[in-house]
Amino acid sequence: MFLKKKHVAPKATYREVWSKGDIATKLSFFIMGSNALANKQWVKGLALLISEIVFIVWFIFSGISTLGILATLGPIKSKKVVYDAAQGVYITKQPSNSVLILLFGVLAIILCIAMIYLYIVNLRSTRHNYILKRDGEHIPTNVQELKSLLDTRLHATLMVIPLLGILFFTVLPTVFMISMAFTNYDRQHPIAFSWTGFQAFGNVLSGDLAGTFFPVLGWTLIWAVAATATTFFFGVLLAMLIESKGIKYKAFWRTVFVIIWAVPQFVSLLMMAQFLDYQGALNNILMNLHWISSPIHFIDNQASPLVARITVILVNMWIGIPVSMLVSTAIIQNLPEDQIEAAKIDGANAVQIFRSITFPQILFVMAPSLIQQFIGNINNFNVIFLLTGGAPMNSKYNGAGSTDLLVTWLYNLTFGQEQRYNASAVLGILIFIISAVVSLIAYRHTNAYKEG
Amino acid sequence: MDIIKLKHITKQYDDGFVALKNINLTIESGKFYSLLGPSGSGKSTILRIIAGFSQPSSGQVFFDGKDITDLDAAKRHINTVFQNYALFPHLNVFENVAFGLKIKKQPMDKIKPAVKEALHMVRLDGYANREISELSGGQQQRVAIARAIVNEPKVLLLDESLSALDKRLRKDMQFELRAIQKKLGITFIFVTHDQEEALSMSDEIFVLNDGMIQQSGSPVAIYDEPVNDFVARFIGDSNILSGRMIKDYEVEFANNKFKCADGGIKPNEKVEVVIRPEDLDIVAPEKGNIVVTAQTQLFLGDHFEIKAVDANENEWLIHSTNGVKLGERVGLFFDPEDIHVMRLNESQEDFDARIEKYEGDENEN
Repeated sequence: MFLKKKHVAPKATYREVWSKGDIATKLSFFIMGSNALANKQWVKGLALLISEIVFIVWFIFSGISTLGILATLGPIKSKKVVYDAAQGVYITKQPSNSVLILLFGVLAIILCIAMIYLYIVNLRSTRHNYILKRDGEHIPTNVQELKSLLDTRLHATLMVIPLLGILFFTVLPTVFMISMAFTNYDRQHPIAFSWTGFQAFGNVLSGDLAGTFFPVLGWTLIWAVAATATTFFFGVLLAMLIESKGIKYKAFWRTVFVIIWAVPQFVSLLMMAQFLDYQGALNNILMNLHWISSPIHFIDNQASPLVARITVILVNMWIGIPVSMLVSTAIIQNLPEDQIEAAKIDGANAVQIFRSITFPQILFVMAPSLIQQFIGNINNFNVIFLLTGGAPMNSKYNGAGSTDLLVTWLYNLTFGQEQRYNASAVLGILIFIISAVVSLIAYRHTNAYKEG
Repeated sequence: MDIIKLKHITKQYDDGFVALKNINLTIESGKFYSLLGPSGSGKSTILRIIAGFSQPSSGQVFFDGKDITDLDAAKRHINTVFQNYALFPHLNVFENVAFGLKIKKQPMDKIKPAVKEALHMVRLDGYANREISELSGGQQQRVAIARAIVNEPKVLLLDESLSALDKRLRKDMQFELRAIQKKLGITFIFVTHDQEEALSMSDEIFVLNDGMIQQSGSPVAIYDEPVNDFVARFIGDSNILSGRMIKDYEVEFANNKFKCADGGIKPNEKVEVVIRPEDLDIVAPEKGNIVVTAQTQLFLGDHFEIKAVDANENEWLIHSTNGVKLGERVGLFFDPEDIHVMRLNESQEDFDARIEKYEGDENEN
């Protein structure tokens, strides 16, 4: 079903179309749509013709300068006061707005690519018409062409709006952001900036940010592994407990845990932050019970990094366990009872059955979703930002605290004092590369993927 | 030698449904038994009670003379092959078969030859490293058997084990199961709803319906002499007609009197007469015991299945190697031995007693 379509050689080469075609056909190589117009496909011909004219006009009056200025991101790099000899006065020259220059530059490139695509469409349609004419077949009329858009080529018609959406709201911003990683857009160059190649990458990987990047990356990976593993394991255990034979009111217990999940995450996280505060409820309770003599710094700035990190992982379990409990409940209910009976005949006890029959099968089914959770945890902005905000601050780090993940650090670099937009872009790219590599390798190794 | 005995076993579920009513049965060691019955007849319940997965409401289970009613499933010398095989999909063939031995903490140098031997027994040599998902249904079935026999049970329970296989494979597996049972020399108890399967494999069959044993005995005895119309209908096709006993060895049905081989029944008692379709021979109308008109005919490969009616609107099912012309009047011929007379509501004990009595009479004559 998914065999690659075999490439079928076209019935005529463009060389043949060029040398043997009539004038309108030849003209199509320069004036788009002329062949279509000659064949009375008015709408198609006019659309192609108008888009060519509009493109050329735009390109001459605006496109060339937009693309030209993209190379330097604007001539004036800082605010200057210059003497205007013509008017005889000093005037202030504002620096060029590089962000807009970059944005329009990227847009111009996309427009050029779109135009090239339209030109190819034009050539294909010309060749198609040429072949039909040469072989004496019927060339579709204007009405037939339009009707086919709602019939045999309906998929193409329907895809237009989503494609435009993706182009302007996903591709354009992504290219724009990626480009920023190759500039010096930061606090020193907030308005006008220039291309600096891989300098920002150098800063992050071996320059002044490297001392922060690698420790934060390490903690991010530890956090992702610990958060995924703890929620999964205890979720499965909880599900097994609720599903086990002795438990009554199973639906009630399940609902209790689903409620935890149903409360919006930011609410439970802010509540937790209050609860664990230096002057919060937990410290008060422990003091009243005389278990501790002075309050503990769990997640504030004076907390020890280790305590804060363990606290974060524990709080995340509270939020994450109900979800994996729900998923594994479904799997446990579908595990064939006779497998467990077969294991019992062989003398396996409850622990052995869990270890060698139930757990491996749940893992087998859930492996793909675990990978997703892992990637989600690498980018788990909410838990860290709302619970600790990265605290305790770390004097060795540049703009990050001990519990900051790469993604919250990225946030600090953008919206905090640092304003290192180029470094943030680099971080974004690196996080993407890490996530992509991890998921590719992991998916390739899961059995579910192999069987699919 | 008796190995398993069920005494007065009754099983009632919490919702009041009675699955088994006073089951008594004796299993001898080294034989192939079948529990045969329609769905819901209680055959799987008996199996689960023997295996130890469920407890009888009352009654006792004996194994080798010892009461094992409350014994844990793992401690009985009984192993089960499940309907859907219950293989562990995340383990390969070797690990599946070795599972029980590993749980029992056997050393690896003992496990390896034992698994090899078990796989050899089910003719799966060289499959040890295959994944379960790579095996066909028949091969999975055999792995399930290997996993059961590697534990060297004295009794092997098979729960509808062949029902998931296609017809041809099922036939092959029937021979194979029988061969494995002979080679191992242990007791097999096979649960099935397929009468053909039960007849072809078993030394002895228990026919069950509504939680009661209807009849037990060798396949031939059950086929030839069903005690009631349930057994007669369930085991093979049959023509069942109501009739009246004239005297010993003479019975009246379809408005005719016929000689038969049954006796010990009161004269004028209402009875049911069973004649198997393959015992009916198609002959010329004047030579037949009864004259019928053929109405429909199906060609089934090795024989024709013909439906016909006689003058009294009784329907007759005939298996014949030659076809007939539809609408044609033909005669049906059968010997007195082909007629089997059943008394209404006769239990197996009464039946056995009666047979013994009049066969005794015959011997005296």
